[in-house]
Amino acid sequence: MRNPSIIVGLIMLTLMVLVALVGPALLESTLFAGERPGMRGSYRPYQLDSVEHPIGTDGDGRDGLMVFISSIWPSLQIGLIAGATSTSLGVVIGFLAGYARGRLDTLSRILIDMVLVIPTLPLLLMLAAYIERWDLYKLSLILGLFGWSFVARVIRPQVQSLRERSYVDLAVLSGENSLEIIFLELLPPLLPYIGYVFSLSIVGSMLAEAGLQIIGLGAGGLPTLGFMIAKGFRESVIAVGLLGQMLLPAGALIYIFLALNLINTGLDEVFNPRLKTTVEGN
Amino acid sequence: MTANSDATAGNSAADGQAAGRREVFQYALRRFGVYLFTLWAAITVAFFIFRLVPGDPMNILLGNLTRAEGRQRDAAAEEAIIARYRQIFGMDEPLPLQYVNYLRKAVLGGLDLGPSFVEYPAQTKDLVFRRMPWTLGIFTTSVLLAWLVGTGLGALIGWLQRSRLSQLAVVISTLLQITPVYLVALGLIIYIGYTWRILPAGGPYARHLQPEWTWEFISSLLTHAILPMLSNMIVIGAGFTLGMRALMISVLGEDYLTFARAKGLSPFTVLKDYAFRNALIPQVTALAIIVGATLNGTFIIEVLFQLPGLGTLFVQAMGLRDFNTMQAVVLFSIFAVLTLTLIVDLALPLLDPRIRRTA
Repeated sequence: MRNPSIIVGLIMLTLMVLVALVGPALLESTLFAGERPGMRGSYRPYQLDSVEHPIGTDGDGRDGLMVFISSIWPSLQIGLIAGATSTSLGVVIGFLAGYARGRLDTLSRILIDMVLVIPTLPLLLMLAAYIERWDLYKLSLILGLFGWSFVARVIRPQVQSLRERSYVDLAVLSGENSLEIIFLELLPPLLPYIGYVFSLSIVGSMLAEAGLQIIGLGAGGLPTLGFMIAKGFRESVIAVGLLGQMLLPAGALIYIFLALNLINTGLDEVFNPRLKTTVEGN
Repeated sequence: MTANSDATAGNSAADGQAAGRREVFQYALRRFGVYLFTLWAAITVAFFIFRLVPGDPMNILLGNLTRAEGRQRDAAAEEAIIARYRQIFGMDEPLPLQYVNYLRKAVLGGLDLGPSFVEYPAQTKDLVFRRMPWTLGIFTTSVLLAWLVGTGLGALIGWLQRSRLSQLAVVISTLLQITPVYLVALGLIIYIGYTWRILPAGGPYARHLQPEWTWEFISSLLTHAILPMLSNMIVIGAGFTLGMRALMISVLGEDYLTFARAKGLSPFTVLKDYAFRNALIPQVTALAIIVGATLNGTFIIEVLFQLPGLGTLFVQAMGLRDFNTMQAVVLFSIFAVLTLTLIVDLALPLLDPRIRRTA
């Protein structure tokens, strides 16, 4: 794994996770010692940037920086849980579809393609309308349930191509059963690719979550980066002069996406070494 | 003897052509069959997702109504209201029957999807048709422009892969590609729309105008459309640029390109006829893949720019729990995505003779 993209991406991501985990407690004990910066009505709302409030206060009278820092972890959590859900579902289904032959194979391909084209956003919005009490886990699971078809779609051809290799034939001849073949022969070489897909799924879920928040139909009240952006837009904080309250969460989202994208590129290169030689060589 | 063999050669060529045409026809037919099946299945899945989610929409509806009126009704009146609503929305029957009725009305009843709630008693169908041009207009124009610009730019960057400028372009495109489309839209609204006031960033056209065929109206319409389209274009265009660049680079490594250069063809001919053409096919396939995601993005853009498209309609309908309208919008998006994908898939054999033969 001595791939520079992966290392840089992982470092960026680790830094973000550290800020997300340690940041809130650190802020409370240093900058806001003895105050409750994350509580509504702690301060006068819409204060401009100052030493006490580096990016001002928001419309609810909370410190902007505190809101921002404590929004990062929920966003990351949603991405991780939803990404893990859709990846594991998609890998299982993709393996089944790729390993099966004949009619089962055709059937699973049609099923995957079908679910893949159903536009997810309206359906997600529909679900959002039904669910009265949102929490982070419900939202993540639902996002995850919508993402598996993409994973299955890309895993299936990889499994199919691996299944035809001669070393798999050898394994069949030496008497391994299907489970052994899947877990010992097919899964290990696909791990970097699965990591790549996982990372893509995290991006997809975080993207969808923030999108839901921004059109105002997400799980309102969940303190995520998307919610902060949406709230800032609705309260037109830019017009008030509180630039940071929109740029910071937007920047953080882009930063996380960039880190994941770097990891992706790296994993793709690990899985598919030809990619690297064709890009750099020649 | 020679004449004879010439004739058979001619015959077999004609036979080959006819067989090829038959194969294309069979491919198109099979693809169309899959299309119809997928359409039906997707609609079915969507229908049942709408119904099987826990929670009674009628109760939510009643709750909204009570809140709007600000007073409580007695239980009997509530029962009556719910029964009436259920009847209007065709929800008083068992689920399988609802499903059959829904399909029957939609297919045989000339797309009769029931009355809407958002603009009762307007038909859902009419609402969707009235809003559709906005969504499709923004969507198709921006996707096509992004595809053209991105493909051209990507080919150029791939061709000039060693230069500083093209490396810079890769970095910029990567950054733009990972930026969510709604953040780009928000940025454009905030900076170009409000802070610098270069272009209008809200509404379909200037408020004092009426839809009519005057230059003033049309120009207002067009200037209002620039930013929504641009948001879509920036993100998708960056993706196409990167995709085309990667394809171009992998094509540049092929032997036939070295051969073409060795033949002494001009660099432009090599770029145009040898590299570009071969990189183009996967790029068209990529067009089919992004259709769904881009439609989602377009819905969000409409809401942010306050355009009266389907996305906005959906959001309005959701506020009122207007089932028929929500379902119609989902139905339409499924139809649009599937049809656009079908068109791309059918166009592919025209571009690539290899698909024609193997299909």
